[in-house]
Amino acid sequence: MAYLDINNVVKRYEGHTALAGVSMQVEQGCIYGLLGPNGAGKSTLIRIINRILAADEGSVTLNGKQMTDDDITHIGYLPEERGLYKKMKVGDHIVYLGRLKGMTKADAVASMHWWLDRFDLKEWENKKVENLSKGMQQKVQFIGTVIHRPPLLIFDEPFSGFDPVNAEQLKVEILALRDQGSTILFSTHNMSSVEEVCQQITLLNHAQVVLNGSVDEVKQQHKKNIIAVETPDSIEPNDALFTLLPSDPVKHDTRIKLAQGVQVRDAIAWLNEHYVLTGFTEVLPSMNEIFIETVKSQNAPQNNE
Amino acid sequence: MNKLRLIIAREYMSIVGRKSFIFMTLGMPLLFVLIGAVPVLLAYLNDKGSDTQQIAVIDETGRYAAALHSDDMYSFVALRGDTVTDAREFYDKSNGSIDAIVIIPIDVDSTGVVNIYSEGTITPALVSTLRSALTDTIEAAHLTAMGIPDIQQMIEKAHVDVDVRAIKWSEAGDEQASSTEAAMGLGLMLSLITYMFVLMYGAMIMNSVIEEKTNRIVEVVVSSCRPFQLMLGKIIGVGLVGLTQMAIWIILLAIVGTVAGGALGWTGAQAPSPDAIAQVQDMSAMQAIMQQVMSINYVPIVLNFILYFIGGYLLYSSLFAGLGSAVDQPSDSSQFTTPVILIMIIAFYAGMACMENPSGPMAVWCSIIPFTSPVVMMIRLPFGVPIWQLLLSLGLLFGTALAITWLAARIYRRGILHYGKKASFADLFKWIK
Repeated sequence: MAYLDINNVVKRYEGHTALAGVSMQVEQGCIYGLLGPNGAGKSTLIRIINRILAADEGSVTLNGKQMTDDDITHIGYLPEERGLYKKMKVGDHIVYLGRLKGMTKADAVASMHWWLDRFDLKEWENKKVENLSKGMQQKVQFIGTVIHRPPLLIFDEPFSGFDPVNAEQLKVEILALRDQGSTILFSTHNMSSVEEVCQQITLLNHAQVVLNGSVDEVKQQHKKNIIAVETPDSIEPNDALFTLLPSDPVKHDTRIKLAQGVQVRDAIAWLNEHYVLTGFTEVLPSMNEIFIETVKSQNAPQNNE
Repeated sequence: MNKLRLIIAREYMSIVGRKSFIFMTLGMPLLFVLIGAVPVLLAYLNDKGSDTQQIAVIDETGRYAAALHSDDMYSFVALRGDTVTDAREFYDKSNGSIDAIVIIPIDVDSTGVVNIYSEGTITPALVSTLRSALTDTIEAAHLTAMGIPDIQQMIEKAHVDVDVRAIKWSEAGDEQASSTEAAMGLGLMLSLITYMFVLMYGAMIMNSVIEEKTNRIVEVVVSSCRPFQLMLGKIIGVGLVGLTQMAIWIILLAIVGTVAGGALGWTGAQAPSPDAIAQVQDMSAMQAIMQQVMSINYVPIVLNFILYFIGGYLLYSSLFAGLGSAVDQPSDSSQFTTPVILIMIIAFYAGMACMENPSGPMAVWCSIIPFTSPVVMMIRLPFGVPIWQLLLSLGLLFGTALAITWLAARIYRRGILHYGKKASFADLFKWIK
């Protein structure tokens, strides 16, 4: 059974439907990407899981049990729009967030010290938040999210606004948390980070799930039967087997698109007979391409209305 | 419950620890002292700074100039009526050593007119000094002229100040002095306290809500507690801040009162100085007021004050919290606060008007309607209010306060996550649903 099971969740606002029967299953210990364009309903779904909003229909179960308000102590949530109390001291702030999640004062203080140490923020403990740089504030926000070591972590656009160095550190921490057994739900537009860290994804568009599955599966489903061939020769098209695509200007390889029904090995066998092949790879679409393609094909009929 | 306590503690510390709070708490009484002291100080400087004015008095009657006594401000120099034929000429010749010339004409007894001439400004203070001194003297002279022996004493004996005492019949039939002035003073004070407190700390709650929203911390917080807990924690936390601030003010007032009282000798221990004798009359009046103040039955008043204070604060502060959640920036808040503040001002003026007639229909209605009752009932209370009106009013107040808190919580829940487009009243109604 999935750790977090979202079953046919519906949320309506006056005038529009934010979620029209969304289901998804998040396995324990995986990093799950929740993708979708702006307004697709990601934030609403995340707020429902966090019990900030209530679903109109459907159910959310955690570890097999219907979620209740008490379960929010098991969640760490980093919203997309996040902030801090500017006038509070860094240490007090983190401890406050930890205690709101049900930690004892002693536990929260110990955990706060551990994390500040890990992020090299030790000497900032008694400084006011407003004195921190933006990057440091983001680290404090992250610590506030994970201080109580929740089994379920929800990050909404965690990398937005991070410089590459800090983003890398954040990624390392997220992977470490996963390795320690946390389940991580990840909402983002940043497709390269999805490919780097996510195992499973759900793509939402117009309040509905339009794509679902593991990153590998999804890529296989969306592959265009394109092969990048490395050869010193100049390949002539062979309409029965493949057509030539414009070559990649960076890699200087030759790209061919297989004709309908042609197997990769048949095309390679033919090419091997006629040309000198130094290598070949099947080109899988990037998540970015899949995202754009799926969303565009969804939106196209609507534009014609 | 534990979370609520955490939220209250954070809210409280965040305000009390702020420099502006310390500044406000200590600065407010200072400001009041300054407002009170500046006019006195200015008048003092005015007195000290100016030289004594030289006033020449030409007394054509030759009888009344002696009534004008010189002091720090004015030095009266009597000139014999026949030495100066032309006052103007004399004034010019003095080359500014004389500031004004008073002429008491020979027929002053019949006309009652005295003239004063100067090229400079003739101050109202000088005019009133002359008027009071000459009126008394000439009046006394007239009485003496009537030739009735001991007339002064007779007049003093006949003099009476009628003291109208309001006696209230209680239902049991016994009499009780109803001490109107003291009751009015107390009612006004309690009403003002409620009014100020609700306005000041209501606005503080609103700012705190808006701050959390603009800071974008609010979504993190409500992922750890219910929005209602956060709102309630704020209301209680800010309320405690208000009580702290009031307690500090009361303590400061007590200290200043004791110190000032000691300095001015109100302890009454030392022998009466000539000045103090003049105050004896005032002292007995003070004692009468004190007696009135003592005669008020405080227990029900204080008890009701606490109830109305809590009810009124809850009502308005949740209103402010709910409305604050609907805006992104403090500058946008006025469209929502204006109606609330308008209601409060109406309540205040209704309270003032009710002092004239604390049992009239307007007073009764305004003390029952929940939005005005915390302010108006405080005015009525010392005059005695029928128990059914009190119960009805309190019931309505707390019922409405809880209903408003519930509505505000619904608005708050949606409002804190609403960014971008400015919310309208129509949006608020949609959020309640």
